[in-house]
Amino acid sequence: MKVLVDKEKCFMSGECYYNHPELFRMDDDGYPEVIENRLDQDLLRHAEEAVQVCPAGALKLEK
Amino acid sequence: MSEETVELGPEIDPRIFDSKEFQKDPFPIYKQLRDHHPIYHDRFHNRWILSRYWDVDGAFQDNGSYDRAMYKADGPYDFGSRHVFGPNILEYGNSDEHRRLRNIVAGQFVGQKLQDFIPMIHQISEEVIDRFIDSGEVEIISQFASQVPIRVISNMLGLPREDEDTFVTWYQDLIAGLGFGGEHLMRGLNARNEMWDYIDPLIKKRSVDPGEDLLSRICTAEIAGSRMSSDEVKGFVALLLAAGGDTTEKAIANMWYHLMYTRPDQMELALSNPDIWENVFAEMMRFDPVVHAQFRYTTREIPLYNDVIPERAGVILYLGAGNRDERAFKNPDTFDILRDDLHMGRENRSGRYKDGKNGHLGFGIGQHFCMGYAMARQESAIACSKLAARVKKPRPKNMVHPGISSPSIDSGGFRSPEELIMEFDK
Ligand code: HEM
Ligand code: SF4
Repeated sequence: MKVLVDKEKCFMSGECYYNHPELFRMDDDGYPEVIENRLDQDLLRHAEEAVQVCPAGALKLEK
Repeated sequence: MSEETVELGPEIDPRIFDSKEFQKDPFPIYKQLRDHHPIYHDRFHNRWILSRYWDVDGAFQDNGSYDRAMYKADGPYDFGSRHVFGPNILEYGNSDEHRRLRNIVAGQFVGQKLQDFIPMIHQISEEVIDRFIDSGEVEIISQFASQVPIRVISNMLGLPREDEDTFVTWYQDLIAGLGFGGEHLMRGLNARNEMWDYIDPLIKKRSVDPGEDLLSRICTAEIAGSRMSSDEVKGFVALLLAAGGDTTEKAIANMWYHLMYTRPDQMELALSNPDIWENVFAEMMRFDPVVHAQFRYTTREIPLYNDVIPERAGVILYLGAGNRDERAFKNPDTFDILRDDLHMGRENRSGRYKDGKNGHLGFGIGQHFCMGYAMARQESAIACSKLAARVKKPRPKNMVHPGISSPSIDSGGFRSPEELIMEFDK
Protein backbone atom coordinates (compact mmCIF):
# COMPACT_ATOMS: atom_id res chain seq x y z
CA MET A 1 0.00 0.00 0.00
CA LYS A 2 1.20 3.44 -0.92
CA VAL A 3 -0.18 6.98 -0.56
CA LEU A 4 -0.16 8.97 -3.79
CA VAL A 5 -0.44 12.75 -4.09
CA ASP A 6 -1.93 14.30 -7.21
CA LYS A 7 -0.19 17.67 -7.38
CA GLU A 8 -2.53 18.91 -10.08
CA LYS A 9 -5.49 18.59 -7.76
CA CYS A 10 -3.80 19.45 -4.46
CA PHE A 11 -4.30 23.08 -3.47
CA MET A 12 -2.03 22.99 -0.44
CA SER A 13 -4.76 23.07 2.14
CA GLY A 14 -2.26 21.57 4.54
CA GLU A 15 -4.78 19.25 6.17
CA CYS A 16 -2.83 16.06 5.45
CA TYR A 17 0.52 17.13 6.87
CA TYR A 18 -0.83 18.99 9.91
CA ASN A 19 -3.12 16.13 10.88
CA HIS A 20 -0.70 13.36 10.03
CA PRO A 21 2.90 14.42 10.52
CA GLU A 22 3.73 10.73 10.85
CA LEU A 23 2.88 10.26 7.17
CA PHE A 24 3.50 13.58 5.44
CA ARG A 25 5.58 16.69 5.65
CA MET A 26 5.24 19.99 3.81
CA ASP A 27 7.80 20.50 1.06
CA ASP A 28 9.23 23.93 0.30
CA ASP A 29 6.40 24.73 -2.10
CA GLY A 30 3.57 23.81 0.26
CA TYR A 31 2.82 20.37 -1.22
CA PRO A 32 2.73 17.25 0.90
CA GLU A 33 5.63 14.87 0.69
CA VAL A 34 4.98 11.29 1.77
CA ILE A 35 7.57 10.33 4.35
CA GLU A 36 6.34 6.89 5.35
CA ASN A 37 5.18 4.24 2.96
CA ARG A 38 5.48 1.18 5.15
CA LEU A 39 1.91 1.27 6.39
CA ASP A 40 1.17 -1.01 9.30
CA GLN A 41 -2.42 -1.31 10.43
CA ASP A 42 -2.37 1.89 12.48
CA LEU A 43 -0.74 3.97 9.79
CA LEU A 44 -3.07 2.56 7.20
CA ARG A 45 -5.99 3.84 9.24
CA HIS A 46 -4.35 7.28 9.40
CA ALA A 47 -3.75 7.22 5.66
CA GLU A 48 -7.37 6.36 4.99
CA GLU A 49 -8.45 9.21 7.22
CA ALA A 50 -6.16 11.63 5.33
CA VAL A 51 -7.60 10.49 1.99
CA GLN A 52 -11.09 11.01 3.33
CA VAL A 53 -10.37 14.47 4.78
CA CYS A 54 -8.42 15.94 1.82
CA PRO A 55 -10.69 18.72 0.54
CA ALA A 56 -9.24 18.48 -2.97
CA GLY A 57 -9.58 14.73 -3.47
CA ALA A 58 -5.86 14.77 -4.22
CA LEU A 59 -4.81 11.77 -2.15
CA LYS A 60 -5.30 8.13 -2.91
CA LEU A 61 -4.17 4.76 -1.68
CA GLU A 62 -2.58 2.44 -4.18
CA LYS A 63 -2.27 -1.28 -3.62
CA MET B 1 13.42 31.97 7.94
CA SER B 2 14.93 35.09 6.46
CA GLU B 3 18.64 35.49 6.98
CA GLU B 4 18.94 39.09 5.93
CA THR B 5 21.40 41.26 7.79
CA VAL B 6 20.12 43.66 10.39
CA GLU B 7 21.09 47.30 10.53
CA LEU B 8 21.39 48.74 13.98
CA GLY B 9 18.73 51.26 14.86
CA PRO B 10 17.34 53.08 17.85
CA GLU B 11 16.47 51.06 20.94
CA ILE B 12 12.77 50.41 21.62
CA ASP B 13 11.55 51.20 25.12
CA PRO B 14 9.43 48.15 26.01
CA ARG B 15 6.96 50.28 27.97
CA ILE B 16 5.71 51.51 24.60
CA PHE B 17 3.81 48.22 24.20
CA ASP B 18 1.49 49.21 27.06
CA SER B 19 0.83 52.70 25.76
CA LYS B 20 -2.37 54.08 24.23
CA GLU B 21 -0.25 55.33 21.37
CA PHE B 22 0.84 51.80 20.48
CA GLN B 23 -2.67 50.40 20.79
CA LYS B 24 -3.86 52.98 18.31
CA ASP B 25 -1.01 52.96 15.87
CA PRO B 26 1.42 50.09 16.36
CA PHE B 27 2.72 50.25 12.79
CA PRO B 28 5.73 52.58 13.25
CA ILE B 29 6.94 50.35 16.09
CA TYR B 30 6.34 47.26 13.97
CA LYS B 31 8.57 48.77 11.30
CA GLN B 32 11.33 49.51 13.78
CA LEU B 33 11.06 45.96 15.05
CA ARG B 34 11.26 44.48 11.54
CA ASP B 35 14.07 46.70 10.36
CA HIS B 36 16.29 46.84 13.40
CA HIS B 37 15.15 44.24 15.94
CA PRO B 38 13.77 41.28 13.98
CA ILE B 39 14.36 39.32 17.14
CA TYR B 40 13.56 41.56 20.07
CA HIS B 41 13.95 40.68 23.71
CA ASP B 42 11.46 42.68 25.75
CA ARG B 43 13.17 42.52 29.14
CA PHE B 44 10.42 44.50 30.82
CA HIS B 45 7.69 41.94 30.08
CA ASN B 46 10.18 39.10 29.76
CA ARG B 47 9.13 37.99 26.32
CA TRP B 48 10.54 37.85 22.82
CA ILE B 49 9.06 39.30 19.67
CA LEU B 50 9.15 38.21 16.03
CA SER B 51 7.81 40.62 13.44
CA ARG B 52 9.05 39.84 9.92
CA TYR B 53 6.67 38.02 7.59
CA TRP B 54 8.83 34.96 7.01
CA ASP B 55 9.87 34.69 10.64
CA VAL B 56 6.26 34.79 11.85
CA ASP B 57 5.31 32.28 9.14
CA GLY B 58 8.28 30.11 10.06
CA ALA B 59 7.39 30.08 13.75
CA PHE B 60 3.75 29.19 13.03
CA GLN B 61 5.00 26.29 10.88
CA ASP B 62 7.62 25.03 13.29
CA ASN B 63 5.89 22.72 15.74
CA GLY B 64 9.20 21.30 16.87
CA SER B 65 10.32 24.64 18.30
CA TYR B 66 7.16 26.49 19.32
CA ASP B 67 4.16 25.32 21.31
CA ARG B 68 0.99 27.17 22.30
CA ALA B 69 0.17 25.30 25.50
CA MET B 70 1.00 26.71 28.92
CA TYR B 71 0.39 23.32 30.53
CA LYS B 72 1.50 19.84 29.57
CA ALA B 73 -1.30 17.73 28.14
CA ASP B 74 -0.42 14.85 30.49
CA GLY B 75 0.44 16.99 33.55
CA PRO B 76 -1.57 17.68 36.72
CA TYR B 77 -3.47 20.68 35.33
CA ASP B 78 -7.20 20.18 34.95
CA PHE B 79 -7.81 21.61 31.48
CA GLY B 80 -10.62 24.15 31.34
CA SER B 81 -10.58 24.89 35.07
CA ARG B 82 -8.95 28.30 34.63
CA HIS B 83 -10.63 29.36 31.42
CA VAL B 84 -13.80 31.42 31.23
CA PHE B 85 -15.05 29.18 28.40
CA GLY B 86 -14.39 25.96 30.30
CA PRO B 87 -12.63 23.13 28.49
CA ASN B 88 -11.67 24.22 24.99
CA ILE B 89 -9.14 23.72 22.27
CA LEU B 90 -7.29 27.00 22.87
CA GLU B 91 -5.54 25.67 25.97
CA TYR B 92 -3.93 22.86 24.01
CA GLY B 93 -0.66 22.93 22.13
CA ASN B 94 0.59 20.42 19.64
CA SER B 95 -0.87 17.39 21.36
CA ASP B 96 -2.99 14.42 20.35
CA GLU B 97 -5.74 15.93 22.47
CA HIS B 98 -5.63 19.07 20.34
CA ARG B 99 -5.86 17.03 17.15
CA ARG B 100 -8.77 15.07 18.56
CA LEU B 101 -10.76 18.13 19.64
CA ARG B 102 -10.06 19.94 16.40
CA ASN B 103 -10.76 17.12 14.01
CA ILE B 104 -14.09 16.22 15.57
CA VAL B 105 -15.53 19.62 14.67
CA ALA B 106 -13.31 21.20 12.02
CA GLY B 107 -15.20 19.56 9.15
CA GLN B 108 -18.41 21.32 10.20
CA PHE B 109 -17.18 24.74 9.09
CA VAL B 110 -15.99 24.03 5.57
CA GLY B 111 -17.21 22.56 2.31
CA GLN B 112 -20.76 21.29 1.92
CA LYS B 113 -21.51 21.44 5.65
CA LEU B 114 -20.82 25.18 5.56
CA GLN B 115 -22.76 25.61 2.30
CA ASP B 116 -25.84 24.16 4.03
CA PHE B 117 -25.90 27.25 6.25
CA ILE B 118 -25.28 29.89 3.57
CA PRO B 119 -28.93 30.62 2.69
CA MET B 120 -29.55 31.28 6.38
CA ILE B 121 -26.66 33.78 6.46
CA HIS B 122 -28.24 35.64 3.55
CA GLN B 123 -31.58 35.72 5.30
CA ILE B 124 -30.24 36.91 8.66
CA SER B 125 -28.20 39.64 6.99
CA GLU B 126 -31.34 40.94 5.26
CA GLU B 127 -33.36 40.82 8.48
CA VAL B 128 -30.74 42.77 10.41
CA ILE B 129 -30.59 45.39 7.63
CA ASP B 130 -34.41 45.66 7.58
CA ARG B 131 -34.27 46.98 11.13
CA PHE B 132 -32.46 50.20 10.23
CA ILE B 133 -32.69 50.66 6.47
CA ASP B 134 -35.55 53.15 6.62
CA SER B 135 -33.75 55.51 8.98
CA GLY B 136 -31.03 56.71 6.58
CA GLU B 137 -28.32 56.06 9.14
CA VAL B 138 -26.65 53.08 10.80
CA GLU B 139 -24.14 52.70 13.60
CA ILE B 140 -22.37 49.83 11.95
CA ILE B 141 -20.95 48.14 15.06
CA SER B 142 -24.01 47.91 17.28
CA GLN B 143 -26.74 47.74 14.65
CA PHE B 144 -25.08 45.59 12.04
CA ALA B 145 -21.67 44.00 12.67
CA SER B 146 -22.48 42.78 16.17
CA GLN B 147 -25.91 41.51 15.15
CA VAL B 148 -25.15 39.21 12.24
CA PRO B 149 -22.52 36.70 13.47
CA ILE B 150 -24.15 35.89 16.79
CA ARG B 151 -27.55 35.34 15.18
CA VAL B 152 -25.91 33.17 12.55
CA ILE B 153 -24.23 31.03 15.21
CA SER B 154 -27.41 30.78 17.26
CA ASN B 155 -29.24 29.61 14.13
CA MET B 156 -26.52 27.20 13.15
CA LEU B 157 -26.75 25.64 16.59
CA GLY B 158 -30.46 25.29 16.05
CA LEU B 159 -31.54 27.33 19.06
CA PRO B 160 -35.14 28.55 19.05
CA ARG B 161 -35.35 31.93 17.33
CA GLU B 162 -37.24 33.50 20.21
CA ASP B 163 -34.17 32.90 22.41
CA GLU B 164 -31.85 34.73 20.04
CA ASP B 165 -31.85 37.98 22.01
CA THR B 166 -31.00 36.19 25.27
CA PHE B 167 -28.17 34.53 23.44
CA VAL B 168 -26.91 37.93 22.25
CA THR B 169 -26.80 39.12 25.88
CA TRP B 170 -24.85 36.08 27.06
CA TYR B 171 -22.47 36.66 24.20
CA GLN B 172 -21.81 40.28 25.20
CA ASP B 173 -21.21 39.30 28.84
CA LEU B 174 -18.96 36.44 27.91
CA ILE B 175 -16.81 38.66 25.72
CA ALA B 176 -16.62 41.20 28.55
CA GLY B 177 -15.41 38.31 30.76
CA LEU B 178 -12.25 38.12 28.71
CA GLY B 179 -11.10 41.49 30.05
CA PHE B 180 -8.95 41.94 33.10
CA GLY B 181 -10.30 42.14 36.64
CA GLY B 182 -12.69 40.28 38.93
CA GLU B 183 -15.79 42.18 37.93
CA HIS B 184 -15.36 41.29 34.26
CA LEU B 185 -14.66 37.71 35.12
CA MET B 186 -17.78 37.40 37.30
CA ARG B 187 -19.95 38.81 34.56
CA GLY B 188 -18.46 36.37 32.08
CA LEU B 189 -18.77 33.40 34.39
CA ASN B 190 -22.39 34.19 35.24
CA ALA B 191 -23.31 34.39 31.60
CA ARG B 192 -21.43 31.21 30.87
CA ASN B 193 -23.19 29.31 33.64
CA GLU B 194 -26.61 30.53 32.57
CA MET B 195 -25.87 29.55 29.02
CA TRP B 196 -24.64 26.14 30.07
CA ASP B 197 -27.75 25.46 32.14
CA TYR B 198 -29.79 26.41 29.11
CA ILE B 199 -27.87 24.26 26.71
CA ASP B 200 -27.37 21.17 28.88
CA PRO B 201 -30.78 19.60 28.22
CA LEU B 202 -30.41 20.39 24.50
CA ILE B 203 -27.11 18.51 24.42
CA LYS B 204 -28.68 15.50 26.10
CA LYS B 205 -31.58 15.47 23.71
CA ARG B 206 -29.65 16.00 20.51
CA SER B 207 -26.97 13.45 21.38
CA VAL B 208 -29.59 10.71 21.19
CA ASP B 209 -31.96 12.30 18.70
CA PRO B 210 -29.81 14.45 16.43
CA GLY B 211 -31.14 16.85 13.80
CA GLU B 212 -29.30 18.66 11.01
CA ASP B 213 -28.20 21.57 13.23
CA LEU B 214 -24.62 22.28 14.29
CA LEU B 215 -25.22 21.39 17.94
CA SER B 216 -26.45 17.93 16.94
CA ARG B 217 -23.53 17.54 14.59
CA ILE B 218 -21.01 18.52 17.28
CA CYS B 219 -22.63 16.19 19.81
CA THR B 220 -22.47 13.23 17.47
CA ALA B 221 -19.40 13.89 15.30
CA GLU B 222 -16.81 11.18 15.65
CA ILE B 223 -13.16 10.87 14.81
CA ALA B 224 -11.63 7.43 15.28
CA GLY B 225 -14.55 6.39 17.46
CA SER B 226 -14.23 9.36 19.82
CA ARG B 227 -16.91 12.00 20.47
CA MET B 228 -16.80 15.21 22.51
CA SER B 229 -17.93 14.90 26.11
CA SER B 230 -20.86 17.03 27.18
CA ASP B 231 -18.50 19.44 28.99
CA GLU B 232 -16.37 19.70 25.88
CA VAL B 233 -19.44 20.52 23.80
CA LYS B 234 -20.36 23.29 26.23
CA GLY B 235 -16.81 24.64 26.17
CA PHE B 236 -16.89 24.59 22.42
CA VAL B 237 -20.15 26.52 22.23
CA ALA B 238 -18.69 29.20 24.51
CA LEU B 239 -15.56 29.34 22.37
CA LEU B 240 -17.65 29.61 19.23
CA LEU B 241 -19.21 32.82 20.50
CA ALA B 242 -15.89 34.55 21.03
CA ALA B 243 -13.63 32.92 18.44
CA GLY B 244 -16.36 32.88 15.82
CA GLY B 245 -18.71 35.69 16.81
CA ASP B 246 -16.65 38.53 18.18
CA THR B 247 -13.91 38.15 15.57
CA THR B 248 -16.32 38.18 12.63
CA GLU B 249 -18.14 41.16 14.12
CA LYS B 250 -14.90 43.08 14.20
CA ALA B 251 -13.92 41.94 10.72
CA ILE B 252 -17.15 43.33 9.27
CA ALA B 253 -16.69 46.63 11.11
CA ASN B 254 -13.08 46.97 9.98
CA MET B 255 -13.98 46.31 6.34
CA TRP B 256 -16.44 49.20 6.36
CA TYR B 257 -14.10 51.42 8.31
CA HIS B 258 -11.36 51.10 5.70
CA LEU B 259 -13.67 51.83 2.80
CA MET B 260 -15.18 54.80 4.61
CA TYR B 261 -12.00 56.35 5.94
CA THR B 262 -8.82 54.73 4.58
CA ARG B 263 -9.77 54.29 0.90
CA PRO B 264 -13.02 56.15 0.19
CA ASP B 265 -11.98 56.18 -3.48
CA GLN B 266 -12.46 52.39 -3.57
CA MET B 267 -15.93 52.51 -2.00
CA GLU B 268 -17.66 52.87 -5.37
CA LEU B 269 -15.96 49.72 -6.63
CA ALA B 270 -17.18 47.77 -3.63
CA LEU B 271 -20.72 49.10 -3.96
CA SER B 272 -21.03 48.12 -7.60
CA ASN B 273 -19.35 44.73 -7.39
CA PRO B 274 -20.66 42.20 -4.85
CA ASP B 275 -17.82 39.75 -5.56
CA ILE B 276 -15.12 42.22 -4.57
CA TRP B 277 -16.02 41.90 -0.87
CA GLU B 278 -13.80 38.83 -0.65
CA ASN B 279 -10.92 41.11 -1.67
CA VAL B 280 -11.97 43.66 0.93
CA PHE B 281 -11.89 40.87 3.49
CA ALA B 282 -8.43 39.63 2.46
CA GLU B 283 -6.90 43.11 2.33
CA MET B 284 -8.42 44.02 5.72
CA MET B 285 -6.95 40.81 7.17
CA ARG B 286 -3.55 41.90 5.87
CA PHE B 287 -3.61 45.64 6.43
CA ASP B 288 -4.96 45.74 9.98
CA PRO B 289 -6.41 42.39 11.01
CA VAL B 290 -8.71 41.74 13.93
CA VAL B 291 -5.99 39.84 15.76
CA HIS B 292 -2.43 41.16 15.63
CA ALA B 293 -0.55 38.81 17.91
CA GLN B 294 -0.37 35.18 18.95
CA PHE B 295 1.65 33.76 21.83
CA ARG B 296 3.91 30.76 21.75
CA TYR B 297 6.42 29.11 24.09
CA THR B 298 9.73 27.81 22.83
CA THR B 299 10.42 24.13 23.33
CA ARG B 300 14.09 24.40 22.42
CA GLU B 301 16.75 27.07 21.96
CA ILE B 302 16.24 28.94 18.74
CA PRO B 303 19.20 30.59 17.00
CA LEU B 304 18.13 33.47 14.78
CA TYR B 305 19.93 36.60 13.46
CA ASN B 306 23.05 36.02 15.54
CA ASP B 307 20.96 35.79 18.67
CA VAL B 308 19.31 32.91 20.53
CA ILE B 309 15.81 32.69 22.02
CA PRO B 310 16.11 30.47 25.09
CA GLU B 311 14.06 27.36 25.74
CA ARG B 312 10.68 27.85 27.50
CA ALA B 313 10.60 31.54 26.58
CA GLY B 314 7.36 33.38 25.77
CA VAL B 315 7.32 34.64 22.19
CA ILE B 316 4.89 37.04 20.55
CA LEU B 317 4.31 36.38 16.88
CA TYR B 318 3.27 39.76 15.54
CA LEU B 319 1.27 38.76 12.51
CA GLY B 320 0.03 42.34 12.30
CA ALA B 321 3.65 43.36 11.75
CA GLY B 322 4.45 40.53 9.34
CA ASN B 323 1.52 41.62 7.20
CA ARG B 324 3.17 45.04 6.70
CA ASP B 325 6.56 43.62 5.82
CA GLU B 326 8.12 45.20 2.71
CA ARG B 327 9.87 41.86 2.23
CA ALA B 328 6.48 40.27 1.46
CA PHE B 329 4.27 43.05 0.06
CA LYS B 330 4.85 46.12 -2.11
CA ASN B 331 3.77 49.42 -0.55
CA PRO B 332 2.59 47.50 2.52
CA ASP B 333 1.14 50.60 4.20
CA THR B 334 -1.34 51.18 1.37
CA PHE B 335 -4.81 49.66 1.72
CA ASP B 336 -5.74 48.43 -1.75
CA ILE B 337 -8.49 45.93 -2.51
CA LEU B 338 -7.00 45.46 -5.99
CA ARG B 339 -3.45 44.73 -4.89
CA ASP B 340 -1.82 42.15 -7.14
CA ASP B 341 0.66 40.67 -4.68
CA LEU B 342 -1.77 39.33 -2.06
CA HIS B 343 -3.56 36.00 -2.38
CA MET B 344 -7.16 37.22 -2.42
CA GLY B 345 -8.88 33.83 -2.51
CA ARG B 346 -9.68 31.43 0.30
CA GLU B 347 -6.96 31.00 2.88
CA ASN B 348 -5.47 27.68 3.86
CA ARG B 349 -3.62 26.05 6.68
CA SER B 350 -0.28 25.87 4.91
CA GLY B 351 -0.09 29.55 3.97
CA ARG B 352 1.16 28.49 0.49
CA TYR B 353 -0.82 29.27 -2.65
CA LYS B 354 -0.75 28.07 -6.23
CA ASP B 355 -0.83 31.61 -7.59
CA GLY B 356 2.58 32.09 -5.96
CA LYS B 357 1.37 35.13 -4.01
CA ASN B 358 1.80 35.58 -0.31
CA GLY B 359 -1.23 35.22 1.92
CA HIS B 360 -2.15 37.40 4.88
CA LEU B 361 -1.25 36.02 8.29
CA GLY B 362 -4.51 37.11 9.91
CA PHE B 363 -5.78 33.58 10.62
CA GLY B 364 -2.42 32.28 11.80
CA ILE B 365 -0.96 29.29 9.96
CA GLY B 366 -0.26 25.66 10.62
CA GLN B 367 -1.30 23.58 13.60
CA HIS B 368 -3.67 26.16 15.08
CA PHE B 369 -4.75 27.86 11.86
CA CYS B 370 -8.21 29.31 12.35
CA MET B 371 -10.86 26.67 12.14
CA GLY B 372 -13.51 29.14 11.01
CA TYR B 373 -11.51 30.59 8.11
CA ALA B 374 -14.01 29.67 5.42
CA MET B 375 -17.01 30.68 7.47
CA ALA B 376 -15.56 34.02 8.59
CA ARG B 377 -14.68 34.98 5.03
CA GLN B 378 -17.97 33.95 3.51
CA GLU B 379 -20.11 35.37 6.27
CA SER B 380 -18.29 38.73 6.23
CA ALA B 381 -18.45 38.98 2.45
CA ILE B 382 -22.14 38.06 2.30
CA ALA B 383 -23.21 40.41 5.09
CA CYS B 384 -21.22 43.32 3.65
CA SER B 385 -22.36 42.84 0.06
CA LYS B 386 -25.99 42.71 1.24
CA LEU B 387 -25.58 46.00 3.05
CA ALA B 388 -23.77 47.50 0.08
CA ALA B 389 -26.66 46.53 -2.19
CA ARG B 390 -29.22 48.26 -0.02
CA VAL B 391 -27.68 51.59 0.95
CA LYS B 392 -27.69 54.47 -1.52
CA LYS B 393 -24.74 56.87 -1.52
CA PRO B 394 -23.34 55.71 1.81
CA ARG B 395 -20.96 58.14 3.51
CA PRO B 396 -19.40 58.60 6.91
CA LYS B 397 -21.47 60.75 9.24
CA ASN B 398 -18.34 62.27 10.78
CA MET B 399 -15.55 63.32 8.49
CA VAL B 400 -12.93 62.70 11.14
CA HIS B 401 -12.77 59.47 13.06
CA PRO B 402 -10.61 58.55 16.08
CA GLY B 403 -9.58 55.38 14.24
CA ILE B 404 -9.20 51.72 14.99
CA SER B 405 -7.69 50.73 18.30
CA SER B 406 -6.96 47.58 20.21
CA PRO B 407 -7.25 46.90 23.89
CA SER B 408 -3.98 46.05 25.58
CA ILE B 409 -2.39 43.01 24.01
CA ASP B 410 -2.52 41.08 27.28
CA SER B 411 -6.30 41.16 27.35
CA GLY B 412 -6.48 39.19 24.14
CA GLY B 413 -8.80 41.84 22.76
CA PHE B 414 -9.68 42.24 19.13
CA ARG B 415 -9.01 45.37 17.11
CA SER B 416 -11.87 47.51 15.85
CA PRO B 417 -13.28 51.03 15.91
CA GLU B 418 -15.53 51.84 18.86
CA GLU B 419 -18.19 53.50 16.79
CA LEU B 420 -18.83 53.77 13.08
CA ILE B 421 -21.76 55.80 11.84
CA MET B 422 -22.76 55.73 8.21
CA GLU B 423 -25.38 57.88 6.54
CA PHE B 424 -27.12 57.03 3.29
CA ASP B 425 -29.97 58.28 1.12
CA LYS B 426 -33.33 56.78 1.90
C1 HEM C 1 -12.42 37.21 10.83
C2 HEM C 1 -12.70 36.43 11.81
C3 HEM C 1 -11.66 35.57 12.51
C4 HEM C 1 -10.36 35.87 12.83
C5 HEM C 1 -9.62 37.18 12.60
C6 HEM C 1 -9.81 34.69 13.47
C7 HEM C 1 -8.49 34.59 13.89
C8 HEM C 1 -7.91 33.43 14.37
C9 HEM C 1 -6.50 33.24 14.63
C10 HEM C 1 -5.41 34.29 14.40
C11 HEM C 1 -6.32 31.97 15.09
C12 HEM C 1 -4.98 31.31 15.41
C13 HEM C 1 -4.75 31.02 16.86
C14 HEM C 1 -3.34 30.51 17.10
O1 HEM C 1 -2.50 30.54 16.21
O2 HEM C 1 -3.07 30.09 18.23
C15 HEM C 1 -7.64 31.36 15.15
C16 HEM C 1 -7.91 30.10 15.63
C17 HEM C 1 -9.19 29.59 15.79
N1 HEM C 1 -10.35 30.12 15.26
FE1 HEM C 1 -10.55 31.87 14.31
N2 HEM C 1 -10.77 33.73 13.54
C18 HEM C 1 -11.93 34.22 12.97
C19 HEM C 1 -13.13 33.56 12.82
C20 HEM C 1 -13.43 32.33 13.37
C21 HEM C 1 -14.72 31.65 13.26
C22 HEM C 1 -15.92 32.15 12.48
C23 HEM C 1 -14.61 30.51 13.99
C24 HEM C 1 -15.72 29.52 14.19
C25 HEM C 1 -15.76 28.34 13.74
C26 HEM C 1 -13.25 30.44 14.52
C27 HEM C 1 -12.75 29.43 15.32
C28 HEM C 1 -11.40 29.29 15.65
C29 HEM C 1 -10.89 28.18 16.45
C30 HEM C 1 -11.70 27.04 17.06
C31 HEM C 1 -9.49 28.36 16.53
C32 HEM C 1 -8.49 27.48 17.26
C33 HEM C 1 -7.90 26.50 16.31
C34 HEM C 1 -6.83 25.63 16.92
O3 HEM C 1 -6.33 25.94 17.98
O4 HEM C 1 -6.50 24.60 16.30
N3 HEM C 1 -12.57 31.56 14.12
N4 HEM C 1 -8.59 32.26 14.68
S1 SF4 D 1 -5.04 17.56 2.25
FE1 SF4 D 1 -5.19 17.35 0.02
S2 SF4 D 1 -5.27 19.46 -0.77
FE2 SF4 D 1 -4.58 19.54 1.34
S3 SF4 D 1 -2.33 19.56 1.17
FE3 SF4 D 1 -2.95 17.44 1.49
S4 SF4 D 1 -3.17 16.63 -0.57
FE4 SF4 D 1 -3.13 18.84 -0.79
